[in-house]
Amino acid sequence: MTENEKRFDRKRERGGTTPRYYEVFARKSSADPLTHVGSVEAPNDDLAQVRAWFVYDQHAWKEMCVVPTDAIVTVTEHGKSAKIKMN
Amino acid sequence: MTTATTSDLAPAVASLLQDDLLAVADTKLVLGNWYTECVMNGRSLPDFATLLGMCTASFGQTRAIYRYLTNFGHDFGALERGRDAGAIRSMELLDEAPVGWEDFLAAVWLGELASWMLLSGFLHNPDRQLAGLAKKVGQESYFHLKYTDGWMRIIGEGAAERATFLRMVEKRLPFALRWFGPAEAADPLHTAGQRDMPIGKIREAFLREIGKAASLVGAPLPTARPASFETSWRPDARRHGPIPAGLWEVVRFKDQELAF
Repeated sequence: MTENEKRFDRKRERGGTTPRYYEVFARKSSADPLTHVGSVEAPNDDLAQVRAWFVYDQHAWKEMCVVPTDAIVTVTEHGKSAKIKMN
Repeated sequence: MTTATTSDLAPAVASLLQDDLLAVADTKLVLGNWYTECVMNGRSLPDFATLLGMCTASFGQTRAIYRYLTNFGHDFGALERGRDAGAIRSMELLDEAPVGWEDFLAAVWLGELASWMLLSGFLHNPDRQLAGLAKKVGQESYFHLKYTDGWMRIIGEGAAERATFLRMVEKRLPFALRWFGPAEAADPLHTAGQRDMPIGKIREAFLREIGKAASLVGAPLPTARPASFETSWRPDARRHGPIPAGLWEVVRFKDQELAF
């Protein structure tokens, strides 16, 4: 394989055999509540942050954060009706 | 609150300031085109979106600096599309197209970091418009550098990828160092109160930042060799000679011919 060939390594790109997802939260002003705006798949925290920033750039957010989905502890909803899809 | 303006500057200082800003703006123009050309090499859909975002941000930075340069009497249209290859002042580091993913990441990392380090020297410029412009570019550069940080972590997980990346950094680093000029040169912009610290100090800070990447890739970064300067060195452009014809064909504006 030469350096010019495009290589796919799904394991490396996704950060493991199981995709890692992050939920994205943001707010437009300090008066607004932090709101769930979407999710991104990324192999590490750095890429999750930058991908969230560029994918959800519909507003000039005052604050944005990402949370690894596997760090979320659901209290009520599970399954298909849940807003945040758990692995 | 009072603020200095471009009209307050001595002509020689104003000329040097324009040179540096044009070098940053043109480098951002080339970086934006690199992202455009390489977007389909992104590793996933979010990666495509990120590369496109960095592309538009880079073009936005280019235009914002061109717009600022109109304070010195430049014509925006002439800066953006009225110059030939010999007048473009982009970093030599970006003259040669990437040969692979690791090379792409090495080049844009060094290019983003070096251009940001140079512009960061104006964060406390007496002209608040320029200081604000530097701050805004810095906020965007933070995400561009976070992108390369994230990828360096992934590259660091594979021995072959890491070795290729380090080889590419070793190849491109001398070109990045040239951007800061001869190490012993005096810095009239700092002496005139226009640059926060001498260019030599910024160069040292750049090398310290390079060294910090060792924790991301899991290996020491190549040692910087002293940058060499030929007689064709253009201190006003921070580069040797014109940009290559192939790069010029990529970055030049083609809207007039596309209109027919």
